[in-house]
Amino acid sequence: MEKGRKNKKSRHIMRILKPYLLIAPAILGIMLFTVYPAIKMVFWSFYDVNQLNPAKTKFVGMKNYVKIFHSTDFVKSLKNTGIYTLWTVVFIMLCAVVLAIWLGRKKDKFSKFTQAAMFLPHIISMISVGLIFAQMMGVNNGLLNEILVAVGLERCQWTQSSSTALMSVILVAVWKAIGYYTVIIMGSLQSIPDSIYEAAALDDASKLTTLRKITIPLISPQLFFTLIIMTIGSFKVFETIRVMTAGGPNNSTNSLVYYVYQQVFTKYDIGRAAAGGTVLFIIVGILTILYFALLSKKVHYQ
Amino acid sequence: MASIEFKNVTKQFDKTVVIKDLDLKIEDGSFTVLVGPSGCGKTTLLRMIAGIGPQTSGEVLVGDQDVTDIEPGKRGVAMVFQNYAIYPTMTVRDNIEFGLKNQKIPKEERERRVKEACEKVGMTEYLDRKPGTLSGGQRQRIALARAIVKNPSVFLMDEPLSNLDAKLRVQMRVELIELHKKLKTTFVYVTHDQVEAMSMADTIVLMNQGKIQQMASPSVMYKDPDNLFTARFIGSPAMNVKAFEDGSCFGFRPEAAIMSKEKEDGWFKMQGTIAAREMLGSETLYTIRNEQQDTFVVKSGDDSHGVDETVWIHVPREKIYIFGKDEMRIRQQDDGYETYMGKVGAM
Repeated sequence: MEKGRKNKKSRHIMRILKPYLLIAPAILGIMLFTVYPAIKMVFWSFYDVNQLNPAKTKFVGMKNYVKIFHSTDFVKSLKNTGIYTLWTVVFIMLCAVVLAIWLGRKKDKFSKFTQAAMFLPHIISMISVGLIFAQMMGVNNGLLNEILVAVGLERCQWTQSSSTALMSVILVAVWKAIGYYTVIIMGSLQSIPDSIYEAAALDDASKLTTLRKITIPLISPQLFFTLIIMTIGSFKVFETIRVMTAGGPNNSTNSLVYYVYQQVFTKYDIGRAAAGGTVLFIIVGILTILYFALLSKKVHYQ
Repeated sequence: MASIEFKNVTKQFDKTVVIKDLDLKIEDGSFTVLVGPSGCGKTTLLRMIAGIGPQTSGEVLVGDQDVTDIEPGKRGVAMVFQNYAIYPTMTVRDNIEFGLKNQKIPKEERERRVKEACEKVGMTEYLDRKPGTLSGGQRQRIALARAIVKNPSVFLMDEPLSNLDAKLRVQMRVELIELHKKLKTTFVYVTHDQVEAMSMADTIVLMNQGKIQQMASPSVMYKDPDNLFTARFIGSPAMNVKAFEDGSCFGFRPEAAIMSKEKEDGWFKMQGTIAAREMLGSETLYTIRNEQQDTFVVKSGDDSHGVDETVWIHVPREKIYIFGKDEMRIRQQDDGYETYMGKVGAM
C-alpha cells in the first residue's frame, strides 16, 4: 500500500519533469553559447578590462559608453551601419518582390535556370564573395571597370574612394542575398491558389489592383519575416567589410561589428568592444519589438 | 439575363484535345447543370464561359455576343468556385464589394447593393468579420453574395457544394433553387453528382470524354435515356445491364424489378441468390447473383428477405431498355427492337 503510493508519486514527478529533461540539451546549449556570452558582454561593458592582469580590471560605470559615443569612429560606424541596412533592405526587398512576381508566373526552362542561377550566390561563403568582388572592383585591372571603359564610361573608384566604398559593399550584399529572398517570396506566391486570381479577374480587378489588394496582403507574413531577418542580418555586417575594405577608406565603411572587432583585436580594449556590442544588441532588440508592434497589425496570418 | 451558346468549340491543353467541335445552347433563364465523371470537360466548358480558360478555337456567345475577346470581368458573368476563392485578407464586406469598386460604382449604390446581396444569403451580421473566422457554409454564402451583388446575366457555379457536409449540402441545394427563382437569371452549374443534377436542374447536360451524351430535363434523362452511358450514369444505384451474345444489351432499373420467393409473371424472369443486402430505411437494396454469375441490384420496399435466400426477380416489358452494339438506345419504333425483346422474354 505504502509502496504503491510512493510509486504513484514518483511517476507523477516524472511526468512533470519529462518535458524539461527533453529540452534540457537545447536549453543548455543556448545558455552556454548565447545567453551567457550576452550577459558577460553587458557585464564587461561596465568595466575597464585588463586582459594581461585581471586583478587590475575595475568597474567604471557608464564610462565606456560615454567614451564610444564621443569617439568619431564609433558614431561613424553607427551611421554607416544604418545607411548600409537601409539600402540593402530596400534594394533587396524591391528586387526580390519584382523578380519573384516575374519568375513565379512562368514555368519554362529559362525561368528555372534563372532561379537556380540567382540562388547560387547564397551557397557561396561571404568571404569568397568578398574576395572575388574585391578583385573585380579593382580600379586599374578589375573586370567591372573594364566593362565600364568598354561601354565608354569612366572608371569607378569602387572601394578605393570614401564616396563609393559603402555603396560597393552594399552592392555585394544585395547581389548575394537577392536570390535567397526571391526564392522565399516565390514560395509564398505559389501558395496562393489560382482560383483567387481567377475570382479577381471575374471581379474586373486590374493587374495593379490585384497586386495591391490581393497578392501583397497574402504574402505579407513572408514579407514581414524577410524584413526582420534582413534588417537584423544587415546590422551584423562584417565579412565583406573585413575582406574588401577593412573599414576604410577613412572609416567610410566601418560598421558596428567591425568596430567591435577592431576594439578587441587591434586596440585590445574589451570594455569598449563590449559597450559597442551592447549598443548593437539594444538596437536590434528595439527594432524587433518595433517591427512586431507596428507591422503585426497590418500583417495577415492565414 | 442571357443565353449562352457554344459554336464549334475545341479546347486543347498542350497537345491533349479535351473538347472537340462542341455545339451547345443554354437557354436564357434556365438552371442548367453540366454533369459527368471527372475529366469529362464540364468544368472546362464553364471556364470558357467565364473567360478564365478560353477555348482554343470556335465561338462562345453570351447573350448573342461573341465574348472571345472580352475580359472575364467585363462579360457580365459571376462565378462561384469549388473552394469559394474568398479573398482571405479582406473582410466579408470588402470581399463582396471588391468587384463593384473595380467597376467604379459610387459608394452609396455599392452599400445598397452589398446590403441587398447579404440579405439574400442571410450574412448581414457577419459583414465586418474576416473569412478565417467563418464556417464552410458561411464562406459559401459570401461567395454567393459576391456573385449576386454584381447583378450578372449569368451565374456560373463550379461544384459549389462539394466541400460542405451532407446535411448542409441538401439545405444549400434548396436555397440555390430558391435563389434561381428569385433572380430569374441563367444558372450554369457544374457537378459530378447526378443526385445534385437531378434535384436542381431544369435542363441536364450529361457529358463524357468531352462529348455531350444527352441534354434533356431530369425526368426525360431518367425515363428515356438516349444511350447506355446516360442510362448507367443517371439513377442510383445504376441501371442493371446484361449483354447479348452479339454485343448489344438490355437493362432495367433496380427500382423496376419485382422480387418474390415464387416464380410470378413478368417479361424478364430470373432466379438467383441474395449476395448482399443493404437496408437504407424506407427501402432495401439486394444484390442478386444467378448461376451464370450475372449480378443485378434490386431496390425493394420489402426488407424481409435475407442473405443467401433464393429469390425470383421479374421485370415488366415496358421497364426494359434495349441498347445496340454502339451503345445507342434501340427504341420501340426502331429496327430490331422486337427481336431483342423476344430474346429477353425467352431467357
